[in-house]
Amino acid sequence: MEDTGTPDIRKDKRTVKTAGVGITLSLAVCLFILLFAIREGSVYISIPDLLKIIGSHITGKPLPAEVDPMSDSIFWTIRTPRAITAFLVGGCLSVSGAVMQAVLQNPLASSYTLGVSSGASLGAALVLLCGITVSGLSGFMLPAAGFVFGLATVAVAILLASRIDRNVSNQTIVLIGMILSLFVTGIMNFMMTFYGDKSKQLWLWMTGSFSARNWTHCAILTVIGAIGFISLMLLSGRLDILTFGELQASSMGVEVKKTKILAILISSLLTGVSVAFAGVIGFIDLAAPHVVRRIFGPSHKIVIPMSFVYGGAFMALCDLAARTVLSPREIPVGAVTALVGAPFFAYVFFTQGRRNA
Amino acid sequence: MELILKNVSASYGNNKVLDDINLTIGEGETVFIGGRNGSGKTTLLRVMSGLMAHEGSVTVDGEDVLKMKRRNVARLIALMPQTGETYFQYTVYQTVLLGRYARSKGVFGNFNEEDREAAKEAMKTCGVYEYRDRLLNELSGGQLQRVLLARTFAQGTPFLFLDEPGSNLDIKYRAELCDYLCKWAENKTSTPFGDVKNTVVAVFHDLAQARSVCSRTVFLKDGKVFADGPSSEVITPGCLESVYDFDVAGYIDRQVIIR
Repeated sequence: MEDTGTPDIRKDKRTVKTAGVGITLSLAVCLFILLFAIREGSVYISIPDLLKIIGSHITGKPLPAEVDPMSDSIFWTIRTPRAITAFLVGGCLSVSGAVMQAVLQNPLASSYTLGVSSGASLGAALVLLCGITVSGLSGFMLPAAGFVFGLATVAVAILLASRIDRNVSNQTIVLIGMILSLFVTGIMNFMMTFYGDKSKQLWLWMTGSFSARNWTHCAILTVIGAIGFISLMLLSGRLDILTFGELQASSMGVEVKKTKILAILISSLLTGVSVAFAGVIGFIDLAAPHVVRRIFGPSHKIVIPMSFVYGGAFMALCDLAARTVLSPREIPVGAVTALVGAPFFAYVFFTQGRRNA
Repeated sequence: MELILKNVSASYGNNKVLDDINLTIGEGETVFIGGRNGSGKTTLLRVMSGLMAHEGSVTVDGEDVLKMKRRNVARLIALMPQTGETYFQYTVYQTVLLGRYARSKGVFGNFNEEDREAAKEAMKTCGVYEYRDRLLNELSGGQLQRVLLARTFAQGTPFLFLDEPGSNLDIKYRAELCDYLCKWAENKTSTPFGDVKNTVVAVFHDLAQARSVCSRTVFLKDGKVFADGPSSEVITPGCLESVYDFDVAGYIDRQVIIR
């Protein structure tokens, strides 16, 4: 690759323009995917009718007479919140993955590396096995426990890492995260040997599903997702610099330790809330950010929002596949993300050469 | 504005690399740090930029660098590392622009026109302007080094710490770099803390390069300051013999010089 010039797409001013076109196009496609994911299924509805239903709920006007009230309940109370939950979870997971990869300078890193999922699974197992309930939280016991345990595991990992290594270097964090993750999984498996009858229920939770998600789930996800998203956007400039390593980042004026811990905790919050509502769904957090970097370059001001959009759209599609392909039986959505995602990711990654890795 | 090191020691694990260093770098000085591999040169630069925990104290303008906000240190001191790669593929321009972080004002770390101008200027100085849209992994070792140099210049600090800035450069760029540094060191840089005379502290292995840029020489040996004084008095065969532990006169005889 000698001085043969650069592809036009990366030229100074045109980059901004092409990025703008790319972003607009991506948003349009993702909106279409979302509508598609809501529409498809065992009950058929035409796009105009679907838009009328959504419109009437958004504007508060009564439903037009020609629309079947039955479709209204199917589409508005079942499919729409389900698709939106899937979209939000996919978005949160991807953003979290993108940030973890930058902070730990490791293209394979994700919150799962630091034990969010194993911690959450242990929390869920404890609730299932011991039958713990807190009044007022009945329907949300599993997600709440998963969320708390997931975050607690990451907090313990960071605490241990900062005790052992004053600079909290990336290798220490990843190593301790993995050790802790395996240890916590060990505890869970140990507990399961005594309660074999509950293992099916736990397995269902762990493999991930969006069935029966309602507007409350959407609301909680939106609030936490928005908080996490905005805080990470505020860190985006520092994240760019951190990918050059701690020493250089520090010499360029970034408070490395503070930024790192903050970014890890916020992305764990995003993963935590996703795992709590959807179970453990892998792969999206790894694949979506890499695809986005391929298209838009590595700058986090673009990578973070676009990871949200791409991850969300991909998750909505995977959930659609999960509930329709073997209908009426449902496939665990975590299996779909990996089955569909892995070949697609390999295709994207290897066909375009290693140039834009 | 002075940079003062008092009784500074630093170690990696049990391996003590700097042992009780006392140094004062005055505003406007050009200082060459020399010594054998492993004598503590890189560590000294890191400690002086507040990037490494150490015993003793390093102060700029009376303030301890370890206690200052990193952003404020980075407005005064820029350190050019020996290597700098990232898995993520930034373009040359994006990379150089990141050097402006400490000076940027936007909430989202946005860069303004002044930052972009400074980055462009630095790229032109280092001869990488025409590759500004290339990705870092498409560059040769020398080109990458010039990008890092440009990023360091873009930081716009009065103190410039360079760790072997010429090691991968061809002779043309080496000569240009020396000329530029000599010219730069005669000027001042305005900082949020007032105007400060430009100061260079650099590690070189090429003694000719060192002499052409730096009027003062500090030789390190086994983590201690072995010699410190005007370059013309310190860079002598006798001193070099003891710093580098080998027959320097014989080495100089073997140099190929085309006249």
